[in-house]
Amino acid sequence: MTIRMGFVIITSRCIDCDACMVACRSENDVPLGHTRNWVKSSGVQGQFPKVSERFQPGNCMHCDNPPCVKVCPTGASQKRPDGIVIVENKKCIGCKYCLTACPYDARFSNPETGKADKCTLCLHRLEQGLEPACVQTCLGKSRQAGDLNDPDSIVSKLIAQYPTRILLKNVGTGPNIYYIDEAVPEIPEGK
Amino acid sequence: MELTWGLMIVIYLFAAGLSAGAMITSNLSYLYGGQDFQRVSRVGALITPFPISLGLGVLVLDLGSPFNFYQLFLTLELSSPMSYGSWLILIFSIFSIINFYLWLPKKFQIVGQTLQLEKGKKLLAKIMPFLSVGVASYTGLLLNAAVRPIWNAPLLPILFLVSAFSTGVAAVILIATLSPWERARHKELHVLTMADVGLIILECLLILFIIVMGRFSSDSESVAFGSLLYGHYAWIFWLLIVGFGLMLPLLLEFMELKNKIPVKWTWPVTISSSFLVIFGGFFVRYIITYAGQTSSWF
Repeated sequence: MTIRMGFVIITSRCIDCDACMVACRSENDVPLGHTRNWVKSSGVQGQFPKVSERFQPGNCMHCDNPPCVKVCPTGASQKRPDGIVIVENKKCIGCKYCLTACPYDARFSNPETGKADKCTLCLHRLEQGLEPACVQTCLGKSRQAGDLNDPDSIVSKLIAQYPTRILLKNVGTGPNIYYIDEAVPEIPEGK
Repeated sequence: MELTWGLMIVIYLFAAGLSAGAMITSNLSYLYGGQDFQRVSRVGALITPFPISLGLGVLVLDLGSPFNFYQLFLTLELSSPMSYGSWLILIFSIFSIINFYLWLPKKFQIVGQTLQLEKGKKLLAKIMPFLSVGVASYTGLLLNAAVRPIWNAPLLPILFLVSAFSTGVAAVILIATLSPWERARHKELHVLTMADVGLIILECLLILFIIVMGRFSSDSESVAFGSLLYGHYAWIFWLLIVGFGLMLPLLLEFMELKNKIPVKWTWPVTISSSFLVIFGGFFVRYIITYAGQTSSWF
């Protein structure tokens, strides 16, 4: 089966330390004032004394049906055969059409390059057999990345074991970040 | 999301529509009006290249990598309205400059023989309406494709088309009235004003349909259209678009057609009504470009 790269993010394991954002910025030289990934807060939920707050990390969803790729006028935005959505800087003219088309606001205009910028799933690290920087640094092991089509991958095992949700299902983008809200006591072994 | 496409894009969307509208006004006046409509045909042909050139200028300046813009013309991506739209406006702009030359007074036409030039005029007058419809409506498809609330309204291309023609007709009326040279005759202005009244009524209906359809769609879309009706953009929508851009010029033009305007007031009324139509057309682009970006799916 073809490779389909994506993430599983376990919100119950996220403590909002923002180390993923720092690791990404340092790994990918992301300019200050912009970020390729984020941690969003649900705000305080419930009534005192039963209150809770959920943190939801995110980044490019490497959608099955990416609107950013569809609207790109020069073919700079591409979906690779392994599912990773990338921008080929040489072709990008900086029209920002893809920024408006992404319902997750996962892209920004890089003021240093003048190009659309986004998560590459740390493609350069994957090629060296390493995990994406945000996954490697995550101290709660909340972030997991891998091949969603490979049943032996950590991400597939987690999806098989726990209920998951995706963001903005109604928009039809087919995002490849699966969120698990339940407590996950142990991360399964896998690729 | 923060604003990705700002005023530059609004100016472009407006200017492209204005040029397309002025072009088709000129073409149809020439094809169906003949000699009697010489003046407005000429005014339309002579103003067309300017708004679109301005629009293209700000469009390139708005790019993150302006020197890379030629990448647009190394490919044709059919799924991207910006890609086929770029080719379309390139062809439209080149033809509008040729058309400009063809309509210049004879003493400026240093190249070509009069007979050939007349043939060229006729040929372009038959081709340009199609290109104009394309230029005026693809801007709606452009926003459609970036599936956002408001931008995804299926009638948006038609609204932009009608608004473009309305502003184009108004621009021709305005310049033909102000021009000290070849000032338009009453009959020409009367027909154009009649056309504009029809276009304004059509535009009102389209805006109504778009809003009703939006309000009855998903919650995200309903909230987004709410920002026009009673939210952040309400004063622009009700005052600048509905009031000054549609109702007031509609009333003035209607009175002009019924000859209810005293003679000494005709000139200022014609100028103000056509200016208001152009003004309203600008804010139609503005409100849709901005409100579409400040609303998102939930």
